[in-house]
Amino acid sequence: MAGAGGGGCPAGGGDFQWCFSQVKGAIDEDVAEADIISTVEFNYSGDLLATGDKGGRVVIFQREQESKSRPHSRGEYNVYSTFQSHEPEFDYLKSLEIEEKINKIRWLPQQNAAHFLLSTNDDLRINLWHLEITDRSFNIVDIKPANMEELTEVITAAGFHPHQCNVFVYSSSKGTIRLCDMRSSALCDRHSKFFEEPEDPSSRSFFSEIISSISDVNFSHSGRYMMTRDYLSVKVWDLNMENRPVETYQVHEYLRSKLCSLYENDCIFDKFECCWNGSDSAIMTGSYNNFFRMFDRNTRRDITLEASRENSKPRAVLKPRKVCTGGKRKKDEISVDSLDFNKKILHTAWHPVENVIAVAATNNLYIFQDKIN
Amino acid sequence: MECALDAQSLISISLRKIHSSRTQRGGIKLHKNLLVSYVLRNARQLYLSERYAELYRRQQQQQQQQPPHHQHQHLAYAAPGMPASAADFGPLQLGGCGGGGDAEAREPAARHQLHQLHQLHQLHLQQQLHQHQHPAPRGCAAAAAGAPAGGAGALSELPGCAALQPPHGAPHRGPPMEPLQPSPAPLPLPLPPPAPAALCPRDPRASAACSSPSAPPGAAPPAAASPPSSPTPSSSPGFYRGAYPAPSDFGVHCSSQTTVLDLDTHVVTTVENGYLHQDCCASAHCPCCGQGAPGPGLAPAAGCKRKYYPGQEEEDDDEEDAGELGAEPPGGAPFAPCKRARFEDFCPDASPDASNISNLISIFGSGFSGLVSRQPDSSEQPPPLNGQLCAKQALASLGAWTRAIVAF
Repeated sequence: MAGAGGGGCPAGGGDFQWCFSQVKGAIDEDVAEADIISTVEFNYSGDLLATGDKGGRVVIFQREQESKSRPHSRGEYNVYSTFQSHEPEFDYLKSLEIEEKINKIRWLPQQNAAHFLLSTNDDLRINLWHLEITDRSFNIVDIKPANMEELTEVITAAGFHPHQCNVFVYSSSKGTIRLCDMRSSALCDRHSKFFEEPEDPSSRSFFSEIISSISDVNFSHSGRYMMTRDYLSVKVWDLNMENRPVETYQVHEYLRSKLCSLYENDCIFDKFECCWNGSDSAIMTGSYNNFFRMFDRNTRRDITLEASRENSKPRAVLKPRKVCTGGKRKKDEISVDSLDFNKKILHTAWHPVENVIAVAATNNLYIFQDKIN
Repeated sequence: MECALDAQSLISISLRKIHSSRTQRGGIKLHKNLLVSYVLRNARQLYLSERYAELYRRQQQQQQQQPPHHQHQHLAYAAPGMPASAADFGPLQLGGCGGGGDAEAREPAARHQLHQLHQLHQLHLQQQLHQHQHPAPRGCAAAAAGAPAGGAGALSELPGCAALQPPHGAPHRGPPMEPLQPSPAPLPLPLPPPAPAALCPRDPRASAACSSPSAPPGAAPPAAASPPSSPTPSSSPGFYRGAYPAPSDFGVHCSSQTTVLDLDTHVVTTVENGYLHQDCCASAHCPCCGQGAPGPGLAPAAGCKRKYYPGQEEEDDDEEDAGELGAEPPGGAPFAPCKRARFEDFCPDASPDASNISNLISIFGSGFSGLVSRQPDSSEQPPPLNGQLCAKQALASLGAWTRAIVAF
């Protein structure tokens, strides 16, 4: 899946400018819970873009062909299909309500002969599904202890290796990642590799365990790296080095002194996702106040952008934002206390080849692309 | 880290979150509750540390009025990052415990509170010991294995037991996750907290604990016995470091020990790999303690376990200090059965059902609601450390507090 950014543009933060392209969703201030977008995913060609929401609906957008009248403009994404994927269910045996929220959408790789699917909705198990066998699945990871009192961590995210179909990783609430090979045994409770960064004792706090919990894990397109997101940072790991990440990017370090408040209002439990660009030279993740961040791995530059209706004029260039962390606030900076923690960008997606990104801001979907010369 | 909340507030907030999660749509979220339980555990440890610090300091002030019995004993608790005058927890001290006041008038109350804390501490010690002895962390109230349930079985999903584990040791390489076991917790929280460094007792009866760290035992100078003067650095990292040292603070030696000096019997008890050694600190080459010999009454033999009787807190008030704290070791009885007996009250083996849950609530009912509410005037609240509460009230509320925390 490795591919250069469109037009050979260097990807990432400061080398070129991002422009507004489209926004989908209601403008209404009063957001219905069911309309909150819970997942965003491009398909393997980038021509299709899917979103899922908390109401169990899936909307698929399709990119229009570039029109001849505007040869330089990129195609727009318009609704292709929408359907109700899940309904709320009630398990009467366990007295448990099963939410209809769409947790994750994964597109089928069309070239991949192995039509398998990983599902990780369960905190304690990972199941492997064959697409043609719908009544049962293989359980490949089970960390549920015989005695639930012994539980100390749960599975938080998982993903297949992009090239080696037998290899997958899963992350835990303790900030560890395990890489497993399905060829080694039927039940992959023994990992092949175990990734963990030693805790820094000087930064210990009440909330150390919470902020080290990994909320997302993604292989790079090359398959050589993987990226994890915890509450305050993004880390890039080399699959050959287990004892520490090769790169760490601070997403919003200014929040470290606010963890108490964020614990009180439950924001500390927000699960942010992260994604790679097509060439693996840049990574993107969301933050609060409808900010999202991009990091260029080569130049080590980063940029903060905002998804807002105010910047929603066609082809309007997004202005970099900055959070004032102390001292005198400069013009156009925003202070930490002014951040709106209800406006959070948890889900982002990057087109697999081009510099087109989709950013979910609560109930709106923003699409940005790089500046057209 | 700026934090306007102290440990007590965090505990009540955490309990409220767990409580309200039962009624949230989608049922109990295992992951979130697991994380909340970690905060609960951390806050609880800090809370206990603070209370120990205050009460030991108060006792130290009392005993300064008495002639010292022994040479100054160098039972210093030290860990990197610990403030030298460690009893001063700065703004995070609870209540009006800034000292002053009528020390003599408060003496009985302080002594009782000290005793209660000792009880709590023993409980904590038992937990750690139990954890050493058994791979599983000690069970929490209703977390019997069972299917997740939205209603009656709700508590069974509470991973609050995780809150009861001591901080994990340095990250360890993967034992596989199945069966999921906690890190062997090689580094239990040293108990009691930093305060003893300040107390640095001239009188061995003043409580002190030495723990295992490789940090030089001489870190707390004799002068620390005087009331602490320099405030703890207000920056939170320093504070948290002081409150519960990270695993890396400990050296290789005594890496799985925690040591406690009993206040009345002067028995120094060490928990190591699940066994109690009562001679660790007596050995000259043990760097985790200073040179001081433990006081009289040292029980012999490594591996000798000391039983704690929870019912023995009702001591005669007229006794000298020696008789009040702790219990005479009867010899040989392990901790675990005592602890299990304690928790069999509300750790039913059967799958939890609605009646058990309501039993649970009623057992610590008022204590629980007192915890959840933040009204400071509630009599069920743990007593603020102003030393003016009567012993019975403090004892009753502390018991409920303990049970409620443990239950989660």
